[in-house]
Amino acid sequence: MVADPVIAFDRVTFGFEPGTPLVEDLSLDLASGTFYLVSGPSGVGKSTLLRLINRLEEPTAGEIRFGGRPLGAYAPPRLRRSILSVQQTPIAIDATVRDNLLLPFGFAANGDLDRPDDAALERRLGDVLLEDVTLDAHAQTLSVGQLQRLCILRGLLLEPEVMLLDEPTSALDADSREAVLALIARIFADTGVTTVMVSHQDRCPATVEPVVLRLRDRRVVVEA
Amino acid sequence: MDIADISLWRLALGLGFVLAIGVTSIVHHLGLVRDLAIGSVRTVVQLFALGYVLKYIFHLDSVWLVLGVFCVMTAFAAQIARARVGERQISLFWPLAVSMVISYSLTSILVTGVVVGASPWWKPQYFIPLAGMVIGNSMNAIAVALDRMVSDLRKQRAEVELKLCLGADFKEASRGIVREAMRAGMIPSINSMMAAGVVFIPGMMTGQILAGLDPLVAIRYQIVVMLMLVGSSGLGTLMVIVLVRRRCFGPGQQLLIRPRRQG
Repeated sequence: MVADPVIAFDRVTFGFEPGTPLVEDLSLDLASGTFYLVSGPSGVGKSTLLRLINRLEEPTAGEIRFGGRPLGAYAPPRLRRSILSVQQTPIAIDATVRDNLLLPFGFAANGDLDRPDDAALERRLGDVLLEDVTLDAHAQTLSVGQLQRLCILRGLLLEPEVMLLDEPTSALDADSREAVLALIARIFADTGVTTVMVSHQDRCPATVEPVVLRLRDRRVVVEA
Repeated sequence: MDIADISLWRLALGLGFVLAIGVTSIVHHLGLVRDLAIGSVRTVVQLFALGYVLKYIFHLDSVWLVLGVFCVMTAFAAQIARARVGERQISLFWPLAVSMVISYSLTSILVTGVVVGASPWWKPQYFIPLAGMVIGNSMNAIAVALDRMVSDLRKQRAEVELKLCLGADFKEASRGIVREAMRAGMIPSINSMMAAGVVFIPGMMTGQILAGLDPLVAIRYQIVVMLMLVGSSGLGTLMVIVLVRRRCFGPGQQLLIRPRRQG
């Protein structure tokens, strides 16, 4: 058991088809400031586990809590901003790098956050090794690896408490894969943000000691 | 009015053209004979039936009958629109029926009762044909817009979920899609306003002129009808889009529309 878990699954069952659950009666506590690596064969429901945490899917039975309160107690936009998910394939809107980074600041639920100015955005671009990218560049001109770093930065600007990374390197070539993994490791080292990363090949930043959550037979086995 | 009546014999002459096409089809192996025959028979039978039904309704002059006919027409329209969109995951019938009943009755009553000034407002000679035009036209607008919204939500699922993940509510996440859907639904009626009288003489006006009405009176009716069609299409489309959009997202504002095959 984990004291004061940031995320807690309490006897959660979920499946897309009735009678064939992907997870069944799952209880699991995730500790704050820990790096989790979700592993298991494809199709076993790793991405679904992440989608349950930020309420893109609803459990068919059981309850998931964030900071001790059920997910349903939070307004969904605020919940998703605090539990930030980065998608497998980086997605940019059809606009400039600046517009992409500022996209979340146009949403009503994020109205309380300070909108970063250009100088701050440029500094943050440097942090994710995109110092060569200008804010006025069109997002479609970036490589997939650069785009993924842009997407991670876009999420970081919201100062999340938990980061969900769904195979963030699977769409990338070997070089950008290393760059993105190094970036993820650095973010974790610098901010200590609770991170849950799905990886098909158990690919993990070399400098991080993850807690492995092995998904198998509708259960999760925790391997420290 | 001095309207030239068409005798049954002369009506039969109209069939001569269809027969000529039929012969052409046989000679050139076009394979149209069967559809042509069914189409001709259906046109004659359905319109004769409609004529007698309308005559009966006009004769009875009952508000309940008029409203009953209106409800049946609306229910058919909702069913046709639902079938055209063909969405299985989200139930569409009730949102369609509710928005259609509200927008159609509002425009039909306003036009017959206030603009045309029929007394009483449900006078069948005015209410049924005008309501029929409203329903027929805005049914198309509603079906087009709804189809567009549902299929765009499915196609652009990743982008919608991206916005949700960055703290957008379901309205913000689907704003662009709703705008495009509304436009797609409204453009045909706006185009027909642009082209009316220049590219084509609208059907209702043609009929009234043939029936001996002064063109200056006929255009007034036509103007009312065109404006009414845009109004009811816009209102109906907006309502149905708002109602169905809410149903496309769950209580956690998660997108419920999934790819056709769940992975």
